[in-house]
Amino acid sequence: MKTAFCFDLDGTVTKQEILPLISKEVELHEEISLLTQLTLDGLIAFQTSFKLRVKLLSTIPISKVAEVVDKVILDENIVKFIHENKENCFIVTGNLDVWVKNIIETKLQCKFYSSVAEFQGDQLTGITKVLDKAHAIKEIRKDYDRIIAIGDSMNDCSMFQKADIGIAYGGTHNPVNSLVKLSNFVTFDAQSLTRTLQNYK
Amino acid sequence: MKIKNAVICAAGLGSRLGLDTPKCLVKLGKHRLIYYLLDILKDVENVRIVVGFKEEEVIAYVKNIREDVVFVRNPDYSTTSNSYSLYLGSHDLDEPFISIDGDMIIDHDNFKNFVDAIDVNEDLIAVTKAKTEDAVFAKVNETNFITEFSRKPISKYEWSGVAYFANFKVSKNGKYVYQEIEPNLPVKAVEMECWEIDTPGDLDLVMNEVSHIF
Repeated sequence: MKTAFCFDLDGTVTKQEILPLISKEVELHEEISLLTQLTLDGLIAFQTSFKLRVKLLSTIPISKVAEVVDKVILDENIVKFIHENKENCFIVTGNLDVWVKNIIETKLQCKFYSSVAEFQGDQLTGITKVLDKAHAIKEIRKDYDRIIAIGDSMNDCSMFQKADIGIAYGGTHNPVNSLVKLSNFVTFDAQSLTRTLQNYK
Repeated sequence: MKIKNAVICAAGLGSRLGLDTPKCLVKLGKHRLIYYLLDILKDVENVRIVVGFKEEEVIAYVKNIREDVVFVRNPDYSTTSNSYSLYLGSHDLDEPFISIDGDMIIDHDNFKNFVDAIDVNEDLIAVTKAKTEDAVFAKVNETNFITEFSRKPISKYEWSGVAYFANFKVSKNGKYVYQEIEPNLPVKAVEMECWEIDTPGDLDLVMNEVSHIF
């Protein structure tokens, strides 16, 4: 049985939420953190909040953001699992391609699905597409018999609904309750997560 | 620890106890029941707990005791059996595991004896002196193998709810765990002193007889 492992990025593979980190560059840390928290709690829809947060951060040059993102701390157990199974691992993130492409390609070396940015040179001008995670899973399913999704927030719900197995992972913060209700497993420890994933290789 | 995996089934309603709380969260002494199970399993690398009834409360309590537990969800807990919970908790494990009901009390010495009796490649069932109201009796032969289970009192021992599964899988559609073991008999047995909390009477008994644990 061919199995795909689909990881959310922010707060799942990364030990920090990426947008609040970027916001430190424009002194909007408090505002972005609040929006991020409300989104994580499911009080604002991901799509709306993401567009708003991107707008607030759009004045920062893309290369500067990529620099910040490059320093984000990744979970070493999960990174190890992805490296060992890079053919069958995917990052499924609502984050922007221009911001996270580099860290995924250099540090994770697996395929990814993300939101798509509109830009001119080093300047972000808008968002072409906010990723619907369910859509990504539908695409991945074409090549796989079984799909395992790993995530923590509201915007992972649609991915869990389309996956065969959902693992709600609370590595950085508690997974939202709606996601827990769609999951098969819940864990808060990266080693326990990867140990469980090994059973499905 | 020679045992790498343990599955605790704690999904059920525990309706006979008549408390609006999962049995594994019943307060015994300073802590809740599952605290003592996690304590005897503290050297086991991979502990899984199958949760259902009031899962948020169980998860919140357990995670403060031991963060690396893997919770396996049984959302159909009210219409499915303990055997189904054990299936959910173990079907993807390709290594042997210990199975424990989430309403049991076992002390360290008794659990150590059980683990010492385990031969890693051989199934092992813990039996205990029959004392519960709806016991499943286990007939044990002179070489310490269980040859039969029965609802009739054919033996002074009953199936305890603790087992080490090395060679067979729990099926998806089973009703009782002992029925999953049945086709594999004879299986080696070891006596273990342990208590199960099903009724308010059981709770009183445990508080009187094994207060040393708490």
